[in-house]
Amino acid sequence: MNRRRLDPITFELIHAGLLSAAEEMGGVLKRSSYSPIIREMEDFSCALFRADGDLVAQADYIPAQLGAMSLVVKSIIERWGEDIEPHDVFLCNHPYMGAMHTPDLNVIMPIHVGGELFAWSGATAHHIDVGGVNPGTEGASLTQLYAEGLVLPPVKLYEGGQENRNLFGIVMANVRDPVSTASDLRAQRAACTLGERRVLELVERYGSARVRAAFDEALDAVERMTRAVLRELPDGEAEAEGFLDDDGVGGPPTRIHARICKRGDRITVDLSGSAPQITGALNVPWASTRAAVVYALRAMTDPSMTTNDGMMRPVEIVCPRGTVLNPNPPAAVSVRHNTCQRLAEVLVRALSALWPDRAVASGTVTFFDVNLESVSPRTGRPSVMMDVVGGGTGGHPLGDGLDGVDTYMSNVGLLPVEVAESEYAVRILRTELVPGSQGLGRYNGGLGLRREYLVLDRPQTATIYGEQTNPAFRPLGAHGGGDARETRISVFGPDGRRMRLPSKVTLTLQPGTVIRVETSGGGGFGDPKERDPELVRADVLDGRTIRGPTGEGTCLRGSRSRGSGSSTGAGATRWSAPPSSWRATGSWPWARRATSRACRTSAWWTRPARP
Amino acid sequence: MPGWMVGIDVGGTFTDGVAVARDGSMRVAKVPSTPADPSVGLLACLRRLRDDGVDDVDLLFHGTTVATNAMLTGIPTRVVLLATEGFRDILSYRTGSRPRLYDLRQPRPSEMVPRRDRLEVRERLSSLGEVVVPFTDEEIRRVVDATAARSPEAVAVAFLFSYLDDRHERAVGRALRERLPDVPVALSSEVAREFREYPRTATTVLNAALRPVVGRYLRTAAAGLRQLGIDAPFLVMQSNGGCVPADRADREAHRLVLSGPTAGVAGALALGARHGLTRVIAFDMGGTSLDVCLAQDGVPPVTPVLRANDHPILAPTVDIVTVGAGGGSIASVDRAGRLRVGPRSAGADPGPAAYGRGGTEATLTDAFVAAGVLGPDTPLAGELALDVDLAVEAVARVGEGLRLDAPTTAEGIIAIAAAHAARALRRVSVERGLDPREFVLVAFGGAGPLLAGWMLEDLGLGAVLVPPLPGLFSAQGLLSTSLRIDDSQTVLSVLEPRVVREATGWFGRAGRRLLRQLREDGIDPARTRLVGSVDCRYLGQGYELNVTLPTLDAAGLHGVAERFHELHLRTYGHADPSEPVELVTLRLSAFGDLDRPPPPEIPRGGARPRADALGGERRVRLRRTGRRVPVYRRSRLRAGNRLPGPAIVDQMDATTLVLAGQEATVDRAGNLWIRREGAR
Repeated sequence: MNRRRLDPITFELIHAGLLSAAEEMGGVLKRSSYSPIIREMEDFSCALFRADGDLVAQADYIPAQLGAMSLVVKSIIERWGEDIEPHDVFLCNHPYMGAMHTPDLNVIMPIHVGGELFAWSGATAHHIDVGGVNPGTEGASLTQLYAEGLVLPPVKLYEGGQENRNLFGIVMANVRDPVSTASDLRAQRAACTLGERRVLELVERYGSARVRAAFDEALDAVERMTRAVLRELPDGEAEAEGFLDDDGVGGPPTRIHARICKRGDRITVDLSGSAPQITGALNVPWASTRAAVVYALRAMTDPSMTTNDGMMRPVEIVCPRGTVLNPNPPAAVSVRHNTCQRLAEVLVRALSALWPDRAVASGTVTFFDVNLESVSPRTGRPSVMMDVVGGGTGGHPLGDGLDGVDTYMSNVGLLPVEVAESEYAVRILRTELVPGSQGLGRYNGGLGLRREYLVLDRPQTATIYGEQTNPAFRPLGAHGGGDARETRISVFGPDGRRMRLPSKVTLTLQPGTVIRVETSGGGGFGDPKERDPELVRADVLDGRTIRGPTGEGTCLRGSRSRGSGSSTGAGATRWSAPPSSWRATGSWPWARRATSRACRTSAWWTRPARP
Repeated sequence: MPGWMVGIDVGGTFTDGVAVARDGSMRVAKVPSTPADPSVGLLACLRRLRDDGVDDVDLLFHGTTVATNAMLTGIPTRVVLLATEGFRDILSYRTGSRPRLYDLRQPRPSEMVPRRDRLEVRERLSSLGEVVVPFTDEEIRRVVDATAARSPEAVAVAFLFSYLDDRHERAVGRALRERLPDVPVALSSEVAREFREYPRTATTVLNAALRPVVGRYLRTAAAGLRQLGIDAPFLVMQSNGGCVPADRADREAHRLVLSGPTAGVAGALALGARHGLTRVIAFDMGGTSLDVCLAQDGVPPVTPVLRANDHPILAPTVDIVTVGAGGGSIASVDRAGRLRVGPRSAGADPGPAAYGRGGTEATLTDAFVAAGVLGPDTPLAGELALDVDLAVEAVARVGEGLRLDAPTTAEGIIAIAAAHAARALRRVSVERGLDPREFVLVAFGGAGPLLAGWMLEDLGLGAVLVPPLPGLFSAQGLLSTSLRIDDSQTVLSVLEPRVVREATGWFGRAGRRLLRQLREDGIDPARTRLVGSVDCRYLGQGYELNVTLPTLDAAGLHGVAERFHELHLRTYGHADPSEPVELVTLRLSAFGDLDRPPPPEIPRGGARPRADALGGERRVRLRRTGRRVPVYRRSRLRAGNRLPGPAIVDQMDATTLVLAGQEATVDRAGNLWIRREGAR
């Protein structure tokens, strides 16, 4: 039928109804799911889609899931076409068919009106384990998708409202906590059913033509808003590059490169200068690459903007197959998050170069993660500690960055000391700011964190990984602000000797050993000489800066290779080899390199799999 | 006439007072708030009541925003924090996550204590409560000297694992109180004996920082009360929905942060209880925001943590959801050509365009004026008259961008605001697994009764209940509260006989302590009660569910596991009785019941309101048709009157709108019940 123009008030009322439906879906999922990762960490998302799969309304939870699912819906349509029946429910986690990584299980339901496909409702959630080599499924050193658990192309979880027992059987036989997985899948379906009911109520109230017109207008309005915002910003070209410390398995650094070209109300993001796909599991599936672009554009234009697929219409992403940001199967992708953080940072830096008025300095993308296979001191049960330590965010035109937080596309909290020591055989010796880890500027970057873990009682295996241990890859300043310091990871033996670690390693550590991480801070913004003397004085009184001519990490000099405008071209980047003191030999009797284990599980993965 | 109970609620714009005598007579007062020193408004309100015959005050309740405002504007207190060595920076990195996800230019959250005043202390306990680093006398002297050298106005002490063993905190607390006798010292083991160090530390620092602010305010107020000749017990409303005697409110300063909005919830619950309603929604819409709360079985939902201004506060708090939608919410057209209502607000100053105080942007109130629901003859507090032309102009300007005329735009603004409110109510109910259709909505605040009709329609509610004084309802709600004291203790142990003994011991000791306190507060022991609960989880889970205890003895605790399995089944859809259950935190609340004012009554009348209740008509345009709508005077309505919609009910403190297809009836107590026509 013709697209009729909808009056602006009816549109707002239907739109509010759609957002409300998406939020209610989230509420149902949160309430009826088993896993704390869904209930408390909110690592899930719920959304409604137009019949063609374009995302219309999404409840705002975590940015890493931005725009998740619409590619899955499209691959369902492509695969099932005419065979999509009312009350079917689809399940898909295939990273090469629209999903982000295998633990994110997408549950998607068609909504029919008068026998015709009218819309879709979907709920995706991070499941704690979907099988594979490692408990918790993920692992940087995995090299093939086949090691990353059960891989599901779009398949029918329910057919015409009937549970597909074959599929449930297969899923439950392949995951480590089948009870949670099955009940969370049912909770996801309950959320989809609620979404369907709400859409049908809107159709009853306003008529299907108006609701369909509201779907279109919701997308058009976000497109108009995006174009309006873009039009007001300067045209030009800019590029930026950044690196992962390695390729996930100890190889050379991996390049992430973005060239952005903005003309009028259109923008092209060309990622083809990024590295070819890599051996380890740090490759990024297309859905996540797209989410990083959405994140960066929203953050750099209007953080309060509502987003849906209308936002992508003026945006073209160029990225050939076979690169780290658009790999060919069966490249492994389960730890794509580290790469996504770097990609988000590179994009923000390129956009900062393009729009200097909006520039911000870089925050840390270390995403330091330690997994310790430990034992609860209270109960003696085996337990796995997972802790993510944040760092500084970049200085910006309005003020200093934040200290010791997660950055960009994720927002994971620090493990409280009183929880860590109650559940695991460790003692946290300190968690404090690292003066000098930040870049200085008119506005300073936020400070990085120093956290120390003392291994108690028994030998424990630690899998550690992060980024930015290479000084060349430290967070950069902007507008003349200084760079932040790189991240430093060390192990101290009971004999007091120190061993610097590369960014990804698995070790078995003897009691008395201390793991120390010092994460990078954020870059500085603007010329440090322009900093308000009162603030400088306060920094000194508070011991936030290191004084003296060669104060480590003060990085007063502006430095090379940041995002650059088209007039200057990209600066050549130097990078040096990772710290060379690493020796996996017998000279460190208290730290044995564990080769076979590459365990990435989550803090709450502490209960044994149940029958 | 002897014995008035008085409630004074300080809001952003007005300070409201309601006085009820033992014989049911009632007096009210509304005076401008005085943000610089709120006690000025408090006393002015009391003087106004006294001039109106309230001469003998028996009991004075007070809802105050003094702690809330201090948090919003930055607490001026100079606080020193003593923290375990290696952990003083917890006020900087907090939980390690950022308040806003997308904003790359977000302001740094307040650290509350600058780094230079955060002192590291050499002491350490383990997770089993053993001393890992002893706290030596020499170290105590050193830190007390260093603290004194900073001449603090308050000191906060928060050591790791002090919820298990407070000996180090007590040792330094004694030394500090000796050296700095006039400075409040907050120990985390006294403020909140709960695990997870960041919320405990933040709560302790807030307690320390707020004590001088709250203490100063309450001392000033108490002095003023003495001058007025009032020596009645003076009770202050807390975030938990109960109140506390003013003379110890400053020690519990962090528990006052949500003092304001909880009084309305208490009032809605009391009103519901009088009518035998078990499920009530409090719907409080004022000038800038809408506060909603869904309560079941006569008790408000309480969360153990309050989030205020990005800080967690470990204090049981009535679970109220606030949305940026009020009478002052601004309507505008965004760059994509969409009509938006809120979250920006014109606030109290300049306020809506119709106030004629320089506001030019159209607000929700202006939309009601342009639609004809509010008119120049609408009575308003503060001798204000609404300027219809200014409102229509402002609304018309918004409509221009959409090519809509002013009345259509006005109606659209109202409908969109109603959709936001309905969305908030749906979210709150679905997250708690409740169905709004089973609830009665109590509408109050200046704008609540205007918008409530849309809620009735959109959410299919049972009914809307508009109390006699919607604009003074929070002040009135204060009169229905009880004294309440909360205590908690993290234990973090698997449920086994030894732990049951320990927990029973704690409940016994804490219960005696709280009851003794209530007795000292003057409560008859026959009117006190204890309610205990336990946060539980399966061993190894990271999050807890709160299980209420039927009794506080061993029998009650032995039944915890079973109740937890049941609750887990209800909440998550499954349970595993073979898994060990862990007790995480014990919680105890003591209540001291106070006299309730008798419900007021109004004269009876027939179904048709008497002629003198009709105050004229307004030409109202809603649902795209204009029609003449009768305007009733609330004060002249009689019990039994029926007002078929559309109808407008005017009164000084709020206007109620009954939509077409709805009908309002007046009950004995003067409440308006709005139902869909034909519904019962």
